[in-house]
Amino acid sequence: MILFENISKIYKPDTVALKNVSFQINPNEFVSIVGKSGAGKTTLIKLLLREEPPTTGRIVYAGKNIAEIKNKDLPLFRQKIGCVFQDYRLLPHKTVFENVAYAMELMGATDDEILSDVPRLLEIVGLEDRAKHFPLGLSGGEKQRTAIARALAVRPEVIIADEPTGNLDPYHTRDIIKLLEKIYELGTTVILSTHDKVIINSLGRRVITLDNGEIIRDEEKGRFIL
Amino acid sequence: MFTFLRRVIRFGWHNFWRAGGLNIATVFVLIVTLTLITCLFISEGAVNHIMDQIKEKIDISVYMTPDTSDEEIELIKNKLVAMPEVQEVKIVSKEDAMNQFREKHQNDPVLLESLDIVGTNPFYASLDIKAKNPEQYAAILEVINSDSLKDVVYKVDYVEKKTVIEKLSGFITNVNTGGLALALALGVVAVLVAFNTIRVAIYDASKEISIMRLVGASNSFIRGPFIVQGIISGAIAALASFIILLLMTYFLAPKIESLTSGFNVFSWFISRAFGLFFLQLVSGIALGVISSLIAIRKYLTA
Ligand SMILES: Nc1ncnc2c1ncn2[C@@H]1O[C@H](COP(=O)(O)OP(=O)(O)OP(=O)(O)O)[C@@H](O)[C@H]1O
Ligand SMILES: [Mg+2]
Repeated sequence: MILFENISKIYKPDTVALKNVSFQINPNEFVSIVGKSGAGKTTLIKLLLREEPPTTGRIVYAGKNIAEIKNKDLPLFRQKIGCVFQDYRLLPHKTVFENVAYAMELMGATDDEILSDVPRLLEIVGLEDRAKHFPLGLSGGEKQRTAIARALAVRPEVIIADEPTGNLDPYHTRDIIKLLEKIYELGTTVILSTHDKVIINSLGRRVITLDNGEIIRDEEKGRFIL
Repeated sequence: MFTFLRRVIRFGWHNFWRAGGLNIATVFVLIVTLTLITCLFISEGAVNHIMDQIKEKIDISVYMTPDTSDEEIELIKNKLVAMPEVQEVKIVSKEDAMNQFREKHQNDPVLLESLDIVGTNPFYASLDIKAKNPEQYAAILEVINSDSLKDVVYKVDYVEKKTVIEKLSGFITNVNTGGLALALALGVVAVLVAFNTIRVAIYDASKEISIMRLVGASNSFIRGPFIVQGIISGAIAALASFIILLLMTYFLAPKIESLTSGFNVFSWFISRAFGLFFLQLVSGIALGVISSLIAIRKYLTA
């Protein structure tokens, strides 16, 4: 469902972030993208979300070249992809409940749907007793779980998590990874970027290894070797 | 569509109250701006009032030679009243003049006594003439100074008044235009500051905007709450400014009434309260919304 064809990305003036990258991700896969800092993981995700255009190559999502999506249809495209980031990116003036509900409101969900879905999602991520809190008062793990609940709220086909555990201690890290696995088992494609060796080795799933903007390894049941 | 609007309004409302500091700054700047602009209107009102007062005070007094008969004076009066430029002509007889003098100097026994000693009435009968417009006195003077009236007119009391009045009205016009220019400049500055404050407030929200975009919010879903915030800020500022002006004019009115030759700012304000509040509300909301829109534009280009 996701196809990268000979993708290169050069940031002006001359930073080569990705070099001739090609891979395919099928529905219902759990794929990790690993690489050192600066290897190009975030860039790859930005290209997939069309936050940045590729310098060369083609990205196909659900059979469609995403470069051809019109600007006005971009929100709709992004709504179908759930995103989780290292820095959480929660709306500071909204409560946990409202942050999750926001994603649904964007899709035009009814109030009834929101009132029944959001508590259920908060339960999945284990935040039912934090619904009325603002992000500022939450721990990193709680913030990230809120972000995951928000990503799930749109019933996405894919969840993309860019170093979701980058700011978390090992305990919370395991929490989040378990949550992502649970989401995967419920039938959602998960793309996880990380440079955490422990995570990769414990997952035992497909790993794409980037180095200096190039794919140096892409294997099922991959291990963290750099 | 209704759900969309309801949500946008709720988001704007929440953001306004939860974002705190910068919204307070925005409202504060808007209050200052609106108050300043409204003061401009009030001072315009005061100046107009003073001008009217001055115009009201201009008149020509024509003193008649002592041997002019009452009939003759009446005749001249009728002739003058017939002129299209003349608003009103009042006859002040010798007796009237003396009575006025006595009244005016009733606390000055020496003067009154000397008047008694003279025995006869030393005052002249006069005609007080008012023109419809201050510019029309020239035409009236021409008639008064014409040869046919030469024998009965003893003295025309306009020239002295005229210079004083002209100086004064010239001064007031200068003050008026100068004040207007100053107020206008201040108004422009205030508007710019308001724009800038709101721009900064939204710059502060730029990260939030990028998050909204990332989770797939359409432009109108992002813009909407900011417009609502602009409306709320504008409305609150208008209300606050209105109350401030109400109190200000109430307490200031008695203190400056003599300065403004009987102009009562408070009653002036009250008599126009509805229109002024409407003006403040509209300009406050317009300022808030327009500056929000301008500020947010650059964050919405996909
Ligand atoms: N907006 C940008 N403009 C210019 N260069 C950029 C930009 N974003 C990233 N780069 C460069 O592109 C390269 C890849 O960056 P990227 O953020 O994709 O790495 P990463 O693998 O996500 O690293 P990290 O693990 O630190 O997040 C780096 O050399 C980085 O400096
Ligand atoms: Mg990164």
